[in-house]
Amino acid sequence: MTLIIGIPSKGRLKEKTLEVFDRAGLAITLSDDPRNYRGQVEALADVEIALLSASEIARELSLGHIHLGVTGEDLVRENIPDWQEKASLVAALGFGHADVVVGVPEAWIDVDTMADLDDVAAEFRLRHGRRLRIATKYWRLTQGFFAGHGIAVYRIVESLGATEGAPAAGQADVIVDITSTGSTLKANQLKIVQDGVILRSEARLVASKVASWDENTTKLRNQVISAIQSA
Amino acid sequence: MPSDIATKLTRFFEARGCAMPEIAILQPADPFLETAGEDLRRRVFITENEFGASLCLRPEFTIPACLHHLASPVKLPRRYGYCGTVFRQHRKGSGEFLQAGIEDFGRSDAVEADIDCLADAHGALAACGVTKTTTILGDQAIFEAVVAALGLPQGWQTRLVRAFGNDDLLANYLQRLTSKKSVGSGTETTITPGLAGSISAGDVAAVEKEVAQAMEKARLPQTGGRTAVEIARRTIVKARLSSTRLDDAQAAALATFLAIDASAEDAGDALAQFERDHALDLGLAKSALLQRLDLLSERGLPLSTFRYKASFGRRLDYYTGLLFEIYGAGQDKPLAGGGRYDRLMTLLGSTSPIPAVGFSIWPERLAQGGRPK
Repeated sequence: MTLIIGIPSKGRLKEKTLEVFDRAGLAITLSDDPRNYRGQVEALADVEIALLSASEIARELSLGHIHLGVTGEDLVRENIPDWQEKASLVAALGFGHADVVVGVPEAWIDVDTMADLDDVAAEFRLRHGRRLRIATKYWRLTQGFFAGHGIAVYRIVESLGATEGAPAAGQADVIVDITSTGSTLKANQLKIVQDGVILRSEARLVASKVASWDENTTKLRNQVISAIQSA
Repeated sequence: MPSDIATKLTRFFEARGCAMPEIAILQPADPFLETAGEDLRRRVFITENEFGASLCLRPEFTIPACLHHLASPVKLPRRYGYCGTVFRQHRKGSGEFLQAGIEDFGRSDAVEADIDCLADAHGALAACGVTKTTTILGDQAIFEAVVAALGLPQGWQTRLVRAFGNDDLLANYLQRLTSKKSVGSGTETTITPGLAGSISAGDVAAVEKEVAQAMEKARLPQTGGRTAVEIARRTIVKARLSSTRLDDAQAAALATFLAIDASAEDAGDALAQFERDHALDLGLAKSALLQRLDLLSERGLPLSTFRYKASFGRRLDYYTGLLFEIYGAGQDKPLAGGGRYDRLMTLLGSTSPIPAVGFSIWPERLAQGGRPK
């Protein structure tokens, strides 16, 4: 059986991924036709490359439609329920660094830690007639992290873009969002809660646990993984 | 459900003076998420109607019973009974379970109402043939009395009471209260020397002014969320709290209290011993618990099958007093559980507080109940 590897279909993630595979001696050839989302690895005849969006890669891994994939750790942990059952994070690739963090307004000079946020959340309903609102697209990571800090009473407001603008827009009080330099947060007068870094994410080579693994794909997987790890 | 169990329970509830309202399977999701928190979202089946309103399959009956009462109020006190399917997501197995129980609204005689609730939970189990049980009792009011007697600042009292029922969080707070190094000195938050001075002087107006400027700069809405004065006040309170430490005697007292786990017959002695050893007075909270235990034996419920566990609580802000769980012999999941939730009706929109206590039973667990595994 052919081993299918999903790699990001555009942007910096795509370029960096191609570089890593190149360094690993697994140079990828893509079709000249930009609408052809397939490719090959010259060195390995039985490997097929599928160009997908980073979040599609996470999903396809969890469904076992692809064997390996390059995607952000945040997407694996956020988009795949029970992700440990479905996929394993194999190698950190050294690019696509981004942190998923809890951000609060800088004006909240009384909030430095998650314990402070717990106090604020607990009193919120009584003071303002509603629960504390958190804008995020990371439902699962937020719930797990807040539960770990014993914070139960808050509401999540789904945010599909420009999350950092939610507090000023009055849509939410605090945010959980991804940031690589923190500059977007700063520009919006938001600060990161000290113990509020939920995940330090980067691009990972991820292996599906539920794809069909026969002798050939298993052998190819091991070859690809060890080549990437020593690249 | 074995339909004979449903019949038996319904008959029992009616005999105990319960109205049995029709509760819709499809419920608005908001009241559940607002009260129990976002954690519930993973465990309920949520759907949307075409106008975008969030709906869920009822995950339990207490909140629907409260909403039913608030929508069509009748003279209080009032008891509602229910028996039907609830829906919860589980990693394995079916998402449908049976639940039955009684919610008792608006009784001012709290102690008697608690005992009626406990007695009816046992009565309902007995009506289904389950008589060999053990019951764990907890009481948030006693924990509150201990924390108050220790003389901690109000802010710390609220934090500790809020953590009651979550052993990890409580341990974390206790560690912070006993650790010598101060926690939460902000690196992200820049506090100018002038502002620091206003904070330590407790000058709310000066701190408020600075916060208001920061809020304006960030174009934060002036209404609907945290206000400058609220942030200023908490900043000042927090500065005081962060320097509060539990001394060794206070820390030892809290640890000893939380470790109390006594048979109901010995609970009074255990609490009296605790009061003597640590020179604390638990006052009315203790006598109210002992009064309940006396009433239990008057009702013919064998005290030897009840335990009082000091650390047993639920970390939801609408539970206020007595809590209990009833176990069948050799079972690790409770057959029934219940407690007092005097704050729930207000959370759900009642304009005046309505005291409430109730219990629910998991009928599917009764099949093994009273028999060892």
